[in-house]
Amino acid sequence: MRTNLGVLLAGFGLLCLTVPVAAHHGFDTEYDKDKVITGTGVVSKIEWTNPHMHVYIDVADASGKVTTYNLELTSPNAIQRQGWNKNDLLSGEKVTFTGHAGRVVESRGALDSLVKVSAPKQEIFKGERPADLSSK
Amino acid sequence: MLTLLLFVQPHAQQRGQGGGQAAPQTGGRGQGVVVGQFGGQPVVQPLQRGADYRDTISPTDPAMNGPVPRMPDGHPDLTGPWMGGGSDQDMESDGGLKKGELDALLLPWAKAAKAERSKAIYGEPYIYCLPMSVPRVNPYPWKFSMSYTSKGLQHIYLLHETGDAGAHRVVYMDGRKHPVDPLPTWWGHSIGRWEGDTLVIDTTGYNDKFWFDAVGTPHTEKLHTIERWTRLSYGTLIDDFTLDDPGAFTKPVQMRFVARIVKPTIDLMEYICAENNQIGIAGGYLNKDTASQIGIAGGPPQNSEKK
Repeated sequence: MRTNLGVLLAGFGLLCLTVPVAAHHGFDTEYDKDKVITGTGVVSKIEWTNPHMHVYIDVADASGKVTTYNLELTSPNAIQRQGWNKNDLLSGEKVTFTGHAGRVVESRGALDSLVKVSAPKQEIFKGERPADLSSK
Repeated sequence: MLTLLLFVQPHAQQRGQGGGQAAPQTGGRGQGVVVGQFGGQPVVQPLQRGADYRDTISPTDPAMNGPVPRMPDGHPDLTGPWMGGGSDQDMESDGGLKKGELDALLLPWAKAAKAERSKAIYGEPYIYCLPMSVPRVNPYPWKFSMSYTSKGLQHIYLLHETGDAGAHRVVYMDGRKHPVDPLPTWWGHSIGRWEGDTLVIDTTGYNDKFWFDAVGTPHTEKLHTIERWTRLSYGTLIDDFTLDDPGAFTKPVQMRFVARIVKPTIDLMEYICAENNQIGIAGGYLNKDTASQIGIAGGPPQNSEKK
């Protein structure tokens, strides 16, 4: 599987997909707002858990070494209230993400945006779920 | 902008009038809309507070200023659910006070404690899924559950989607008094009564473990709170809040918090906070094994005030 992983040092701003707990209690303590992480990989696990959802994405570098990114979202309740459900993203799907790296554990990040490689213009779990998005 | 109030004694209440033309104005924590007058002061709903308020009715929606629904016994229906209406990020600004106004009333030890906490947010009990207590309200819906029996309204329960750690707060409406020497608890002992259309909740018996806000405004077991909840209109609920803690403050403080009704489709959902709390991992404060145990174990580790 061909993958991309880049760590961009840029003032990307806090275009957060959602509001992780650290945004509520000091984003800067948990995450580096200036260190943007992005990658393409395979979803290995989705936790619809409290206090917040987590999406785990396996990303391989050019040598084949796999890094699992554990990316935090907001609560599953907030995501569901926007119309999303457990069928909208499944383990095994190939996705591209951007987020902010953890201050110490870089791969434990805050998710900003997530799209399926098969539908790169449709952000998953961001805003209202489009009515025409077919469930699996 | 919420008019800033600081009184030694709770001020006299006046029944407000919802309605009138919504008038945008700027101030306090950002743009807001004046939705009425109460207690001689304008009542302001924030125009925008990001994701926190996306599940509420817009402050410019005419439905906001609709009539107050009432229970069969004539009391205002305070159920909600509501968003906001309490402290969270910073009690001082959340409660409509000027910058430095609350801090100026802290006793020296309390001022020092707050300074320490501001450098150690991982010491905050709430982020380990412990109760946030009074008057804190996090960015999730909450409600009054008015519990009637054959004797009438006997209890009012305050239910938060999250933030109460599963421990409902009960307000006794049956006329009982506070216990003489209660064991301090997270939510204290609350007794309520009606003053006209205002629900007055008097609470003592708090423990000193919770923080009023994310910046660590402290208190002691001497804390005594009086909440005066008035539903101004369909969409606006006011808490005129008296904080009296001679152990931490030089005198009682008066604040005002404003809650907003959520959309009719929104109700409280399950939220088991300790299920997968990973706070502290990304920042290197806790490892995954430690973090996963914190909520269940019941609090931050001994070194929680780590700088």
